[in-house]
Amino acid sequence: MRCSKDVLIFHCVWLLMASTASADEPLRLTRDGRQKSSPVFRNRGQEVVYVDFADRSLFQLRKLVIADGSNEKLHAESAAAEFEPTWSGDGECYSYLKLRGVLSISIVVRDKQGTILNEIMPGGGFNGYRSPALSPDHSRLVFSYGERGAQQIYSAKLNGEERRTLSESAGINNWPSYSPDGQSIVFGSSRDGNFEIYCMKADGSNTRRLTENPFQDIRPRFSPDGRRIAFTSHRDGNAEIYVMNKDGSELRRITDNDERDDYAEWHPDGQQLVIVSERGGEHDLYMVKLDTAH
Amino acid sequence: MLDIGAFRAKTCAGISRRSFLQVAGSAPLAMGLSGGHLSAAPSRRAKSVIFVFLWGAPSHLDTCDPKPNAPAEYRGPFGVIPTRTAGVFFTEMIPRIASRSDRFSLIRTHATTAPGHPDGGTLALTGFPEFPTPVQPNFGSIISKTRGHHENLPPFFSITSGMLADGGRRIEGYGGGLLSESHDPFLVGCSANGEVKLAGLGLLDELNPLRIQDRRQLVAQLDTAARRADHEAERAWSRNMKSSYDLLLDAAGRQAFDLTRETIKTRARYGHTTFGQSSLLARRLVEAGVPYVQLNYSRHPEAMNPGFELGWDTHIYNFELLQDQHCPTLDRAFSALLDDLYDRGLIDDTLVVMMGEFGRTPRISANSARDHWPPCYFSIWAGGGVQPGRVIGSSDRLGEYPLGDIVSPLMVGTTIAHLAGIDTQARAEMNVLTGGKVIDALL
Repeated sequence: MRCSKDVLIFHCVWLLMASTASADEPLRLTRDGRQKSSPVFRNRGQEVVYVDFADRSLFQLRKLVIADGSNEKLHAESAAAEFEPTWSGDGECYSYLKLRGVLSISIVVRDKQGTILNEIMPGGGFNGYRSPALSPDHSRLVFSYGERGAQQIYSAKLNGEERRTLSESAGINNWPSYSPDGQSIVFGSSRDGNFEIYCMKADGSNTRRLTENPFQDIRPRFSPDGRRIAFTSHRDGNAEIYVMNKDGSELRRITDNDERDDYAEWHPDGQQLVIVSERGGEHDLYMVKLDTAH
Repeated sequence: MLDIGAFRAKTCAGISRRSFLQVAGSAPLAMGLSGGHLSAAPSRRAKSVIFVFLWGAPSHLDTCDPKPNAPAEYRGPFGVIPTRTAGVFFTEMIPRIASRSDRFSLIRTHATTAPGHPDGGTLALTGFPEFPTPVQPNFGSIISKTRGHHENLPPFFSITSGMLADGGRRIEGYGGGLLSESHDPFLVGCSANGEVKLAGLGLLDELNPLRIQDRRQLVAQLDTAARRADHEAERAWSRNMKSSYDLLLDAAGRQAFDLTRETIKTRARYGHTTFGQSSLLARRLVEAGVPYVQLNYSRHPEAMNPGFELGWDTHIYNFELLQDQHCPTLDRAFSALLDDLYDRGLIDDTLVVMMGEFGRTPRISANSARDHWPPCYFSIWAGGGVQPGRVIGSSDRLGEYPLGDIVSPLMVGTTIAHLAGIDTQARAEMNVLTGGKVIDALL
């Protein structure tokens, strides 16, 4: 009940904000133009947390409240570079990457109040994790990690223990993301030559290829109902957002912009995506409604 | 610290905001020459040079020398796309540059002997090792000595947020070296929103450089600032005052730094990134008559180091950083720079060279990235007498070694000097670039 009320509030805000924009134009959520990445919704879609390139030496996590446009640093106390945030489906936990030192990147897990639960340290030397994602019930996390010349998908408990290798292939495996029921993981892999989208069971079995084209398909994300997957593809000459069914069928191009559209993330209502779009050389967050998209 | 003022400017969206113009005191500034200029040869083609330095060293396999048929442990995850040059492919990471290959020539057979960033950087920028010191001069310093000031503009600018450094270690080949510090570059920084900062100094809020009319007022302010400066800053002050002073009093000089004079469309073409707007600044400096601009992608080579700018040294996150950051930024800015130089009729008089200090390991590392690889890397050359659309040399099937003759950093400097009209005799008189050969295949 609470959720539907929040969604209603969101749509009222949307209508208000969109009143000055064309119906089929994406709604611009930020206007600073700075480089951004990895937006994720939280609080039932009322807020977006994203990575802001505050300057060329610092990534920081920022929180945007859509209703009033207020925008603040997520971790006011943090001086470290933080990036690639992700929330568990139940909203209880979130994690992100933290630059600890020279070419050394850990995974930090916090509860919804912001208390740090764990920091999973990388190996020695130049080493770092990529693309953490929490299971819907926050019992496990998956991530990408480079070892022995390959980059595989791993699963572990939130403290880093009980690590399991989920992918075992040549090339780069990256951007793992759980389905809403926690039974499947969608990810990108270059095992067949260039980046394509694949799906496997959460235990790493039954891997299936979902896309096939000579240009990269990356950063897949399951829709809230688990039936569709949004991702970025370069198949039409530059980075655009596409949506397909979870079996790879009914591919649909969502954005059509001469510049870069990337980092799609589903709104909880399943009808909209937040993306980072480069327009006029500036990078901002935009909301794209699927029913009016290209 | 010497602060020279602030001004308000309009953003491309028309919103008034505060911008700053700061003149360096701690940064070395080129002084007017005290005689001894070496005249350029009549055959001079390139009035200006833009040397785009990809500090940290980009992977040649993931950009301009892909090996799609190599084993997975070499080729990387990126697809390849055709360029406008028959039979030549780049990775899909740089489509705009690929679509302009008829506007530049590509060398795929560079090799260097220095395996690290400080030594590799010095070798890349001077053609010689970093020891013994003082080192041989930066290519820009040779141009500086030959050309001298253009009106009140220093002859050698380095666009950077500060002195190039690997960790805390300054790159020795940054400046004049044996030719003296008077041929060091004038350091100028540029932010993603186009604010230009002449490095190293604070600010005099009460002074507005764009409205400086009263020379006495400026002198008084500068003197006050000098009295406040510590000993080191005072020494820098003495060395640099004339250039700073002249530059600020010269309307054309000040305007060269004012990116808000560009149209919204032009600024957008370059992208609102630090490197994008820095590239636009490079074009403006060339347009104003500056003979040599070193356009640095980053101040530091490291890719992921707390407090440091993101460079091309991708020992981890090679594929992620190229895909998400470096290649989109470079692709947009460099292609815009080429187009702009063409559109404005500047390309024939402007030599553009783009390269790093070495390549990166063709074999993907244990960390799923790429490490340093001095034996093979690439460069791009455009304008200024270079024949476009050529591909010079090739690497072997894995991208590990050049096939045939290699092109050394010394040959790069010698060719730049040659195209800028500094002939063999002039180089010998300056005792620079000794033993260097011109890359004839570019001409």
